[in-house]
Amino acid sequence: MSSSVASQAIDYGEASVVRDEDRSNPIAVRFDHVCKTYKLYKNDRQRLLATFSNRVKCDTINASDDLTFECRRGEALALLGDNGAGKSTALKMITGVCFPTSGRIEVHGRVSALLELSAGFDMRLSGMENVRLRCQLWGLSKGESEELIPGIVEFSELGKYIDQPMRTYSSGMRARLGFAFASSIRPDILVVDEALSVGDRKFAAKCRKRVSSIMEKEGVTVLFVTHSTSQAKQFCSRGIVLSHGKTLFSGGIDDAVEFYENT
Amino acid sequence: MLATLKQILSENWQWRHQIWDLAKIDLIKTYRGAALGKVWLFTKPAVYILVYWFTLSVGMRSGHDVNGQPFLLWLATGVFPWFFMSDAINTGSDVYRRYPYLVNRLKFPLSVISTFYTLSIMIIFACTMLFTLAVCLLTGVHLSRYLLQLPLVMVIMFVFWVAWSIMLSPLGAVSKDFSNLIKTLSTPFFWLSGILFQLSSLPEIGQRVMAFNPVAWCVEAVRDCFVYKEWIWERPDELIPFLVVFAVVVLLALRNFKRLYKEVPDVL
Repeated sequence: MSSSVASQAIDYGEASVVRDEDRSNPIAVRFDHVCKTYKLYKNDRQRLLATFSNRVKCDTINASDDLTFECRRGEALALLGDNGAGKSTALKMITGVCFPTSGRIEVHGRVSALLELSAGFDMRLSGMENVRLRCQLWGLSKGESEELIPGIVEFSELGKYIDQPMRTYSSGMRARLGFAFASSIRPDILVVDEALSVGDRKFAAKCRKRVSSIMEKEGVTVLFVTHSTSQAKQFCSRGIVLSHGKTLFSGGIDDAVEFYENT
Repeated sequence: MLATLKQILSENWQWRHQIWDLAKIDLIKTYRGAALGKVWLFTKPAVYILVYWFTLSVGMRSGHDVNGQPFLLWLATGVFPWFFMSDAINTGSDVYRRYPYLVNRLKFPLSVISTFYTLSIMIIFACTMLFTLAVCLLTGVHLSRYLLQLPLVMVIMFVFWVAWSIMLSPLGAVSKDFSNLIKTLSTPFFWLSGILFQLSSLPEIGQRVMAFNPVAWCVEAVRDCFVYKEWIWERPDELIPFLVVFAVVVLLALRNFKRLYKEVPDVL
C-alpha cells in the first residue's frame, strides 16, 4: 500500500511477488501457479517448537493450489466459489496481507480492499483519527487527505459520531466508515469481498451505486468475490469459478455463473 | 541474514515519514479515554519514584547521596529508564498483538511496527529526561560535560530495544506462552538490574553476570551521564559484554524475523 515504492519485486524462496504502480500495463493482476499452504499444528506449543527445529510435524492445507488466472486492466472479474474455495486467500495475497508459498504474483497498480469492512480499525481511536491514520498508511500527503476526508465523512453518514471513539460504534457504523474510506481513495484496483450488503437497504443501494460509478471510471479494475450470482452478473463482465484452491472455469460472466450453479 | 537486514532497513527507510506520526498516534492511543490525558504518561513514573524514595530513604534509611549527587536524582535516573524498558519488555516483546490490524488487515511492514512503538515510548523517556534536567537546573544540582553523551546513550537504547522487539515479537505472535514468559521476566529484571541498589555493592561474580544484563547496562549508562560522571567507554569490562549481547540480539532478531514474518499474518 505504500505509494513511495515505484516497483518492488521480492523473492520469497520459491514464490515471488511483483508490485508496481504501472497503470499503463495491460495486465492488472496475474497469478501464475500460485500455492498458499497453511501449516496446521496440534497446538501453539508445537508451532513454537517448530520455529526452533525443523523436525516438528504439522498438517498442511493448500488454500490456493496451483492457482492461475489473469485480470486485465479495466476489467471487472468475479470470483465465484463455495466457502473454502480459496477466494479470500487469493484476495488477501493481492492486497499483500499474506504471502504465497510458491508461484508468482504480479500486481500493477494501487490496491484498495473492501475486505471485512468493520475490521482493521483501532477501537481506541475516534473515527476521524482512524481515517487520518488510514490516509497515512495509504501514503497520501497531508493536502490529499484533507481534500478527501470531507467526502469520506459525508459518505459514511456518521455526522457528529465521527469524533467519538470507534469502540462506541455499532457494526453498521464501522462498516459504513470502512466502505466510505476504501471507495474514496481512488485506487487502481478495487477488491470487493461480499461487502456490498453493508448497513440498511438504503445504504447498501448507495454502496452499489458507488461501486458501479467507480467501475465506470476508466481504468479501475475490480475483483469481486460473492456468493450472490445476481450481483456478479450486475457488476462483472468475466468470471472464474474456484474450488479447493484451483480454477475450474474461466470465461464470460454468464457462462461462469451457469457453470457455478450447475456444480 | 544480510538480505533480511537490508529488507528491514529499507522498509524503515521507505516508511520514515509515517513512523513519527504513527508514534504520536500510539501515544494518543495510550492516554485516550482519560480526562487528564497526557498527565497520566508522567504521573505513574513520578508516583513510583516518590514511593521508592520514601521506602528507601525514609523507611529503610539507606538513601545516601551518591557520588556527591542527591539520592533522588540517582533514583530518578534509574527509574525513568526502567519505565521505558519495562514497556519495551512487556509490550515491545509482543507488539504485533497491539496492532493486529496492521498485521493482517493492511499491507504494512512488520518491522516498522517495532520501530514506531519503540519511538513512542522513547518520546516519553526523552520528556522525563528533560524534566529531570529542568529540575536539576532549578534546584542547583551540579551537572557536568558527561551529560553530553546522553543523546548517544538514548540512540543506543533505541536501536537495542527495536532489535529486541523484532527478535521477540514474531515468537510472541506465534505463542502466547512465550509472550507470557517474557512478561514474567520483567519483575526479576527490575529487582536484579541495580535500579534500586548500586551494582558496585554486588560481589565480584555478581557484577560479572550483571555486565551481560542489558537493562543493567542501560540504567548504568544513564546514571553515568547524571551521577557517576564517567564516559560509557571508560569501563570496557561493562561495555564489551553489552556489545556482545547487542550483537546476539541483532542476529537472533534477523533469524526469527526471516523465519517467521510470513507466518505471523496467518496465525495472529
